[in-house]
Amino acid sequence: MREILLFALLGLGSGALIAGIAVAIVLMYRGSGIINLATGGISMLSGYCFWSLREGEIASMGTVPALLVTLVFTLLVGVAMELVAFRPLRNAAPLAKLVASLGVLLIAQASMLLAFGSTQKPQPSILPSDVVTIFDVNVPVDRFILVGIIIAITIGLVALYRYTRFGLATRAASENEVSALLAGLSANQLSMVNTVLAALVAGSIGVLAASVTQLDTVSLPLQVVPALAAALLARLTSFAIACAAGIGIGIINSLIDYLSTQSWWPTDHGVPMPGTKELLAFLIIVAAMFLRGARLPSRGELVEQRLPEVPKATKILQPAIILTIVCAVALVVLPYDFRQALINSMIGTVMALSLVVITGFVGQISVVQLALAGVAGFTVSHMAVDFGIEFPLAPIIGAAVAVLFGAAIGVSALRVRGVSLAVVTLGAAVAISNFGFVNRTWGGGDTGSPVPQPEIFGIDLGTEAGFRGIDGNLPSPVFGWMVLVVTVLLCMFVASLRRGSFGQRMLAVRSNERASAAAAIDVRHVKLVAFSVSAFIAGVAGTLYAYNFGSVSADRFGPVTALALIAFAYAGGITLVSGAIFAGLISTQALLPHMLDKWLGIEGNWFLLFGGVILIFTLLQHPEGVAGAFYKSREQRRARRAAAAPPAPPAASSGRPVATVGVDS
Amino acid sequence: MSETVLSIEGLTAGYDQSPVIRDINIEVRAGEVIALLGANGAGKTTTLRAISGMVHPMEGRIVFLGEDLEKVSISARARKGIAHVPESRGVFFGLTVAEHFRLGHRTEKLDVEAAYRYFPALAELKNRRCGLLSGGEQQMLAVGRALARHPKLLLLDEMSLGLAPLIVERLLPVVRQYAVDSGCGVLLVEQHVQLALDTADRGYVLSHGQIVMQDDAAKLRENRELLLASYFGEHASEVAGGDASPSAAGPGGAVSS
Repeated sequence: MREILLFALLGLGSGALIAGIAVAIVLMYRGSGIINLATGGISMLSGYCFWSLREGEIASMGTVPALLVTLVFTLLVGVAMELVAFRPLRNAAPLAKLVASLGVLLIAQASMLLAFGSTQKPQPSILPSDVVTIFDVNVPVDRFILVGIIIAITIGLVALYRYTRFGLATRAASENEVSALLAGLSANQLSMVNTVLAALVAGSIGVLAASVTQLDTVSLPLQVVPALAAALLARLTSFAIACAAGIGIGIINSLIDYLSTQSWWPTDHGVPMPGTKELLAFLIIVAAMFLRGARLPSRGELVEQRLPEVPKATKILQPAIILTIVCAVALVVLPYDFRQALINSMIGTVMALSLVVITGFVGQISVVQLALAGVAGFTVSHMAVDFGIEFPLAPIIGAAVAVLFGAAIGVSALRVRGVSLAVVTLGAAVAISNFGFVNRTWGGGDTGSPVPQPEIFGIDLGTEAGFRGIDGNLPSPVFGWMVLVVTVLLCMFVASLRRGSFGQRMLAVRSNERASAAAAIDVRHVKLVAFSVSAFIAGVAGTLYAYNFGSVSADRFGPVTALALIAFAYAGGITLVSGAIFAGLISTQALLPHMLDKWLGIEGNWFLLFGGVILIFTLLQHPEGVAGAFYKSREQRRARRAAAAPPAPPAASSGRPVATVGVDS
Repeated sequence: MSETVLSIEGLTAGYDQSPVIRDINIEVRAGEVIALLGANGAGKTTTLRAISGMVHPMEGRIVFLGEDLEKVSISARARKGIAHVPESRGVFFGLTVAEHFRLGHRTEKLDVEAAYRYFPALAELKNRRCGLLSGGEQQMLAVGRALARHPKLLLLDEMSLGLAPLIVERLLPVVRQYAVDSGCGVLLVEQHVQLALDTADRGYVLSHGQIVMQDDAAKLRENRELLLASYFGEHASEVAGGDASPSAAGPGGAVSS
């Protein structure tokens, strides 16, 4: 009993951290309607800032000046985030806003990796390290101080929202932005103040919670997942509920720590089952969605939000053949490192294709696709290791298992949509990664799980096949050819999917579920099939990953990588097959980053930073992505050419062609 | 003649590059109530939206108290004294009635007393959440809040939407009274033509995005035939013209005074 009390009290610390981030999420959502996935990232930035000022990395200041400078820094981060990423997207679709926050997160992580490296930093604690004794248990006093601070912040925010003109205005604007504008309130100012407040809350908790978390580029940013669970329980509206739920989750997590020391707790190779906390956060998110209603409070917006256009492919076979020939030759001719980068690009393309189907065509924001790829990859590995089932049966089973998982998520997406779905799938991605992949029995543990070479009828199709290309190095072009065939076939499949009647039904569901149901489209069926198809494509990508690296490990399919993948897919053009190809070229370890690394010495983290910047730039300039922008300018050129040289009868009125251009552009 | 509050000069506006209203001229003077009439889709709401800044003009000018509004944001226009009560009423369901009157921009103090004077019923509902009010009460709140801001120009869009005609009959005279008391110009869009013309000083009739008729309210009331023709008749004349091109001269252009 004493131990339970001890662990419950210890959990107050991480509970305060989660609560702080949750309150910041709610604040941000009420202020500007953005679910900011970068909230934990802001805590991390402030943590790094304080550490570098305090511990001699930049300066060796005293606690108080370092704290003040950190607060100013956090404030500036908030202002910059609002001005650069969020204000220009005020009237954009929710997906664009979410992806923008993703871009902010990527930039934050990449810049800290570049500045301070990936090793964990010893964050100095500000709070006293004394111990108090309560009911015979010794608890560090800073836990209570942390909880006290976060409760005080929450009470302050509640009072601010209830009693001040500013709070009233924010409540009004978050309910109906148009009416607020008509009432003479400046939505931009309100949003700015709220974003800065949210940044300050997240930033200060990131500095204060030094004793309960680690300072690196992953721990704090990922605290956003349990924090989102708490924020969703509060329906992204109530500060008090968000705070209480956050503290509660922290306490439950700590109790899980205690319970996992018990003999009856399930173990995995002698250690307590990993990932149970992440699984719990996911289950809370799902429960919150069902209990509190799947719809998040929406805002009355000024402009109807349009999703990016989904152009039909006019030609499929011709570009497919050209691409196949070019890549097949390149795989033989290129030196080994570029060959590997090309193979990575193709696998990245397949991964992005799965997002094109689910997000581009059906408009469902799914963060879980990379985890589905991981499910397939681990299945392939365990089929071989545990059951002796190998190529070609193993990848088929792998893809099938991925489809099963995908369909299960599709079932949940029947009720949950839009940004809420993104949150649910983010929780699922984290849970699958930590509960599934890290587990040594059904995952890969810390080291990863081996994958044998693919082989059929005695012919080696793997990376170590006999034929080694012109320079005679690994990987073998034979494996590249196999990946190429699969990639091209899937590209053609997705392009023709868009052209067929099912593609049109998917677009109908994307634009309006109720309207398409009224037009006799079976929305459930369309969604389930789309989820299964995209899960299948992700599963295929996962098996290719597995064969490519000869092993599967959790970090390759982690949630941070998944978020980066969405960023790349969106920048490439989430509605187009060519966009997926572009996304493949710029994805991690693919051709473009490799070229930059090799020729210009720009390493991967710089590319991640560029990725974030490019992403936000793309969102602002070309919401349809790079491929979509190409497509648009080509269409405009065609229309102009058609207008300039009309084979029309000479009697055509002069006004007509001009009018046509005006309508098309 | 009293001061001109609003003058719209050659305004063309619409959505996604396709104009909804074309070359519109409207003038509202202080203390005047103007009715903007027309069939569904004629462009009445778009006109109001262009004035309050929710739709950007493609051509033409909107001049408010001598100032061109082109570069002025929606909220800045509201602060300059334009109060727009949209079809959706522009009230906030989560706020109480009293909170609506506390809600203003930094330098603004809303005249609660005036609102309660014009709509005594509101005073009894002070602490009730707007979401719990009836449609008519919400409309009263919307108009009351607009009046409390002491606007120079009041834009009212379809007050009758979803309300019993009886309530509109009660609301419109209040608006009239307010215009007389305060010298505020009122531009009101209304489906109930008779009610609107009973209240208004002058009226404009919009059809297919163009003004086809404008006159004193009394004359419009008398000239019912012409009014109806301009509401419904233009389709026939358009077919007769044989050209669907929007740039053709308004079918009812000859009618306008």
